[in-house]
Amino acid sequence: MVTQAFKELAILNVAKRGMPKLRITFTPHPVAAKTPEQLHAYVEGNDPVSGKPMMKEIVDALTVPLSADEKKTGVVQVSIGPEKYGPDTPKNLQQFYHDNGMTDFLPVIIPTEEAVEEMLKGTSRKPDELVGKMAGGAYPPWSYTVRQVAINAVMAGCKPEYFPVILAIASSGTPSLMSSTNSFAYAAVINGPIRDKLQMNYGIGALGPFAQSNAAIGRAWTLVSRNLANGGIAGDTYLGSQGNNLNYNNLIMAENEQASPWVPFHVQKGFKAEESVVSLFRGLGIVPGQGARGTSTDTPKYEEQFSDLFSVFTGFFGGLVVADPLIAANLKGRGYDTKDTLIDWLYKNTTQTVKDYKSRDFAYGFDYPRALKGLEPYKTWYAMPDDAVIPRWPHRDDINVIVVGGQTNAFFQGGSLSYTVSVSIDKWA
Amino acid sequence: MNRRKMLSLLGASPVLLVGLPANAEPTKTSAEAKSAGASSSLGKIEGLNPKGTPPPVQLFPMAPRLDSLDGKTVWLVDTGFEGGGYLLQQIQLWFKQSMPNVTTVFRRKAGPYMEDDPALWKEIKDKGHAAIMAVGH
Repeated sequence: MVTQAFKELAILNVAKRGMPKLRITFTPHPVAAKTPEQLHAYVEGNDPVSGKPMMKEIVDALTVPLSADEKKTGVVQVSIGPEKYGPDTPKNLQQFYHDNGMTDFLPVIIPTEEAVEEMLKGTSRKPDELVGKMAGGAYPPWSYTVRQVAINAVMAGCKPEYFPVILAIASSGTPSLMSSTNSFAYAAVINGPIRDKLQMNYGIGALGPFAQSNAAIGRAWTLVSRNLANGGIAGDTYLGSQGNNLNYNNLIMAENEQASPWVPFHVQKGFKAEESVVSLFRGLGIVPGQGARGTSTDTPKYEEQFSDLFSVFTGFFGGLVVADPLIAANLKGRGYDTKDTLIDWLYKNTTQTVKDYKSRDFAYGFDYPRALKGLEPYKTWYAMPDDAVIPRWPHRDDINVIVVGGQTNAFFQGGSLSYTVSVSIDKWA
Repeated sequence: MNRRKMLSLLGASPVLLVGLPANAEPTKTSAEAKSAGASSSLGKIEGLNPKGTPPPVQLFPMAPRLDSLDGKTVWLVDTGFEGGGYLLQQIQLWFKQSMPNVTTVFRRKAGPYMEDDPALWKEIKDKGHAAIMAVGH
């Protein structure tokens, strides 16, 4: 049984997983937040897709003998079409890529053979080398080569020198377009010498549209997710109810290592300072912290402001502090000698009641079943009284800190973003 | 390959897919863009296909059906989406009232919705005759 809102997803999913005739009965949508009487009416009513009585359809699905199609076995190859399109005018080809869902609906660079060959000069890897696999939605993953990644890097407007970053991201198998009904956002933190080599912006306006490398690298991640993994098809591989504007070019953040008083993020993750590394995050987004408690005092306690901001986030995703160097310097001067000391404070002092925790949808869908399986801390949390106070996040490592910005003011942003993986960029150069 | 074509190959009805956008293989293009492989002419260029490589689809036969549900045990599996369990409880009530010879067993699948639960599948195979799974919220 599937609710009506997921009709297309259900039909395509069972087909791609090899049971295209799987018998599905649809119910009205939603079934959440409905009274027993309302749900009883659903059961007594009709399947909104077939128009047939729901329970008769279910009983028939379990008892009517299988057809020949339903017994089929074998393997079906899936084509992606011709190797190239055209010849046609650039204008027509541009529209062709849009019409066939291969873009973010902003103008792209047409990936001609010549442009792709030029992009391939940005890496020492062979064009036919397998880079990785990526799943767009709840389907088996697609695979892709260096050349296939290069085509998307061209479309996004990348220069060849950006290409190792795109390959590193693609090799992680992490799509920036997620199939959930949540509208996920993705972020990449870039560290090391590559930042200056690519003239990335980590100063004034670092998170805005003020550098070609920041913009094109982020956009390429979305096109890679769209085309190499078949992600981002609304109703099929993308179900985010509202969508997320960050999906256009994601949140690309080069850390301001020169102005930070703390060790760079990639060094925290075990890399050498002279290595170039991209670290990926997944979550719901990022929110500016201006106007937080105490910002107008002459002794601002930024750690309290971070905590205030995180208090409105779900703890299901990690907390990411994106601090301007001015804030980082202030915290360092007040005794936070390392990022870890700040993370320790945030973990201990950002809390919630068990009642509030249990009421969150992520807790119901993910943590409660983990509690039933005996996993900690969920098992302990679910056994505590409603008024007990617990940490906002399950683990201390769910909190991360990076330093970004141009020091024009002591501002920060807070992300509901979980760290997932760090990948060497140098290995893809 | 578009959804209609792919599902036709797999045996599903393309009628269900009318109006859906393209999936893997382009469906909407100018006549010229369809002529892949032709040499470039004045003012015209060729663009490469940016798609990745999908895996082949292994077809699986469905499980044999029962002659009837009379005297049988049906598992009702809640995958953990909000509201799914409550809907299944109403279905359980329907069986009790409308098909009292059918025994129903309600279970919430272990772990979050995306995690497998092989122990439950084994339990259903060993002790049950059929299963109804609820997905969606």
